[in-house]
Amino acid sequence: MRDNLVGVDRMALRRRPPDFILFLTVLVLLGIGIVMVFSSSYYYAMFPPFNNPFHFLIRQSIWALLGLTLMFAAMNYDYWRLKRWAVLLLALAFALLIAVLVPGIGVSKLGAQRWLNLGPLSFQPSELAKLCLIIFTAYGLSRRPEQVTNFRRGMLPYLLVTGLAAGLILMQPDLGTAVTIAATIVLMLFAAGASLVHLGILGVFGAAALALAIWLEPYRMRRFLAFLDPEKDPSGSGWHILNSLMSLGSGGLLGTGLGQGRHSKFLYLPERQTDFIFAVIGEELGFIGASVVIILFIILIWRGLKVAITAPDPFGSLLAAGIVSGIGIQAIINIGVVTSSLPVTGITLPFISFGGTSLVFNLLGVGILLNISRYGARQ
Amino acid sequence: MRTAGVITRRRMAVLLYLATAALLALTGRLAWIQFARGAELQEKALELRTRDIPVEAKRGNIYDRNGQLLVTSVSADSLYAIPYLVTDPQKVAAALAPVLEMDAERLQKILTRRSCFEWVARRLPPATVEKIKKLNLPGLFFVEESIRHYPLPTLAPHVLGFTGVDNQGLTGLEKVFDAQLRGVAGRIVVEQDATGRDVPGAIHRYIPPRSGHDLVLTLDKTIQQFVERELDKIVARYDPKLAVIILMDPRTGEVLAMGNRPSFDLTGWMTAPQHVWDRNPAIWYNYEPGSTFKIFTMAAALSEGVTRPGDRFYDPGYIKVADRYIRCWADGGHGSQTFEEVVMNSCNPGFVEVGLRLGKERFYTYIKNFGFGSPTGIDLPGEAAGILIDEKKATNLNLATMSIGQSVAVTPIQLLTATCAVANGGVLMRPQLVKEIRDPAGNVVASFQPQPLRRVLSPQQARQVADLLCSVVLKGTGRNAFIEGYRVAGKTGTAQVVGEGGGYVSGKYVASFVGFAPADNPRVCALVMVAEPKGGVYYGSQVAAPVFREVVRDALRYLKVPATPGLDKPPSPFTYEEPQPKVRVPAVTNYPLEVARKVLLEAGLGAVVQGEGKVVLRQTPVAGTEVARGTAVVLDLADPGVLTHEQVVTVPDLTGLTVTEAAEVLSSMGLELEASGVGQAAGQEPAPGTRVPRGNAVRVYFRPVHSPSAAGPAREFVERP
Repeated sequence: MRDNLVGVDRMALRRRPPDFILFLTVLVLLGIGIVMVFSSSYYYAMFPPFNNPFHFLIRQSIWALLGLTLMFAAMNYDYWRLKRWAVLLLALAFALLIAVLVPGIGVSKLGAQRWLNLGPLSFQPSELAKLCLIIFTAYGLSRRPEQVTNFRRGMLPYLLVTGLAAGLILMQPDLGTAVTIAATIVLMLFAAGASLVHLGILGVFGAAALALAIWLEPYRMRRFLAFLDPEKDPSGSGWHILNSLMSLGSGGLLGTGLGQGRHSKFLYLPERQTDFIFAVIGEELGFIGASVVIILFIILIWRGLKVAITAPDPFGSLLAAGIVSGIGIQAIINIGVVTSSLPVTGITLPFISFGGTSLVFNLLGVGILLNISRYGARQ
Repeated sequence: MRTAGVITRRRMAVLLYLATAALLALTGRLAWIQFARGAELQEKALELRTRDIPVEAKRGNIYDRNGQLLVTSVSADSLYAIPYLVTDPQKVAAALAPVLEMDAERLQKILTRRSCFEWVARRLPPATVEKIKKLNLPGLFFVEESIRHYPLPTLAPHVLGFTGVDNQGLTGLEKVFDAQLRGVAGRIVVEQDATGRDVPGAIHRYIPPRSGHDLVLTLDKTIQQFVERELDKIVARYDPKLAVIILMDPRTGEVLAMGNRPSFDLTGWMTAPQHVWDRNPAIWYNYEPGSTFKIFTMAAALSEGVTRPGDRFYDPGYIKVADRYIRCWADGGHGSQTFEEVVMNSCNPGFVEVGLRLGKERFYTYIKNFGFGSPTGIDLPGEAAGILIDEKKATNLNLATMSIGQSVAVTPIQLLTATCAVANGGVLMRPQLVKEIRDPAGNVVASFQPQPLRRVLSPQQARQVADLLCSVVLKGTGRNAFIEGYRVAGKTGTAQVVGEGGGYVSGKYVASFVGFAPADNPRVCALVMVAEPKGGVYYGSQVAAPVFREVVRDALRYLKVPATPGLDKPPSPFTYEEPQPKVRVPAVTNYPLEVARKVLLEAGLGAVVQGEGKVVLRQTPVAGTEVARGTAVVLDLADPGVLTHEQVVTVPDLTGLTVTEAAEVLSSMGLELEASGVGQAAGQEPAPGTRVPRGNAVRVYFRPVHSPSAAGPAREFVERP
């Protein structure tokens, strides 16, 4: 411990500016997100109960400001100090995940109990839990990096904690977030050097558990079947997929122009400012615009993993890898769903979709990432 | 300081590659969706977002061969509303209600429906449209639709056909050429959001329909009018079950006129019985052609050289085939005669003999070549093929009877088409009804040429047959078809109606005449067919030939076919030369006059009325007397009261009456009916002629109608000696 602190202090003296490319990439994604949230929501928001075309724009902008504030704070908060809080944060995350399930505390929307009420704003504890789990896992693994190849000591504790958290999230129910968190932690284990045999066995069990989760829940089964054959029930379970594809198809190379996406805007595309916002981008900005977003995510992952590789200590390295994995998995699953490459799950596109908690925690995560980048070895 | 280990670094690089690969794969997928499937998805998306309201096209006109309008479409505006544009539905409904004569509340309901398009009223009269336009109401629009209009609604209705509520062709040429006449429907396209709301900058487009093409027929309106006129006369005189007249130009196969009775009015087809409008007897009715078919026996025989016009035949009045005897229609036969005389006399044994000389194979080859046994391919729906006995199964007796037009069924159009082949020098033509299809601007889109199917006879052989047919009209059974100034070729036919059981129905005949003129250069070939004429006269020579003369004469004059002066004339009109078949006078005393008339007409007798009253008091000659067919029975009338004052009445003979008719007869006499069974009266108690007091009951036994073969005399021409 003491050793570490000494080293850290030394590092603190050598703080450099953060990774500028990463920083810029996130800002561009955030900018695109705010514009697209407005573009996709203003028609919908014109009518009751909102009666205000700027309803979603205003909210998203407030969240963005809050997120940016936290990001700048995190950028200047030495990341190794988080080790101290790792266990406490995990306890807080579990407390909130349990609290959200308690009737009267948790708020239900669209049949899922995922939100905690904080005055005028609502808060999704699963987003907090994701970051806390990443911090905890990075902390644990970095304490004895060589133990990671030992299943019982190096993997099982994190798998149990993650499994418990994912189980609580699944009770909301929110399969998408549960899967994202579980996959993020598994990727961290992979990055930490876990045995490929263990990971392979884990993958088989994970796939089985996922299949079971789909099979046991009729609506997930319907979504899965609709993924295989959307035309079978075009106005029911196939509606999301078909309209997402029609929106993308209407875009072509250059798109219909910002604010001109008739299919996505006129309520044919469901969840247009959240889960399916990428389809709006595809329709209005075309293949060019959508590809730019994908490339931005590739840049983000590249710079993020570079931070992880060059981080001065295992904790920073694994923390960076975890944060990048979380963002990357979410982006890949979301774009996969919108392009009908994966079955429909309710996952947002990081930095772009409307949704306060997710945006704030993603920006906070990026803040931590940027802070780690300040201590990296020079290339 | 401990940086990440080597494995960790390598694994992170792997993560980068995996994520990049996944995202690039998704980019590829995106490209496939947006480029490869882009057009299709965009189309689907637009289809999902827009509501399409079809606007029907103006249906094409139908003209006769000279450009005379037969069928057209007149515009009628239809009114529709776009509800969200109707700013004050209550006010608009109130203003509209009196003009449309609709309930204001109902209108308001239509105008406030949560939809982007509502029909308010369709095909409005112009005056109403003007009134609504003057009201200048918001959210209401007109679109042009059309209604079928017939300048002469009773002209050739079976040929033209009619259309349904959506202006779709249902019968006749309207059905066959529906695709051409219909045009391309236009659309009113309205874009809306997923909840049915109008959207900003919504597409509200009117894509105008494209009018249908016009048909130019081969029919000649004037000749068709001659035909309709003659058909009306036939109905007035003979009240037949069916009557058909068709005229064709034998050179091209073009149908100049085609008419049927019973017929209907194109504007009111819905009020006519279905069997009247859904079949065109001219192409659908299968009947035994009788002697008209001898034309083709003769053509085959002369072509194959089995006989020549000068060959001698002897007709003893019958001919034995297998173990049957086929009678000639003339009692005692025609004796010794040339083949030309056989034709002129329409002598059955003579034709049977040449038919047998031809043999089955050659006979079938010829009649099949003439088109019998298969549809002619005329452009009308529901054409029948006629009936030929299977060649393999045909016996010599079949061959014999077919030679004289029995045991073979043809359609009127088949018989006429085959006759055209004789008239035009031996080529079978496909009957043609449509000359051209034109677009609305008058440009010819399709032009139909005469369609020769095959050569059936050589020109010389055809000429020979035509000359013989001229003799029939000049000197033989066809004299009533003679037209002054023209050489007319033709043949009469009288056949008995074949009942459902296969036997002949007593007293039911098909009278026909088929022929052409001028014989040397035929311009018109015509068929007159009258099925089941009433009133005792039923011979083709009596019923059909005079009609042929009237209609063909008018047609030739109308077509300005020059007359040749100084031609031979028939010595006298053809009349019955054979004795009238005797019929037994039925008992009609005590019958109401209408029933008595009907009974007599069915028996082939006329009625002459004496005195006043509603009931027959006496009849002369009395029931049971054998008299010549067509004889008039004198009926003395009285009122029922005259009969009933004595309180005792004579029980009438009810045999053959239906339950309703029997009840009517009995009640008019003050008697009661005690019916048992169904069908026709077959027995009664007390017997006819019994004197009973008024108010008594007569028990009548009804039985279902026998199959005609059992009831009527079977195959009159085939008798054991």
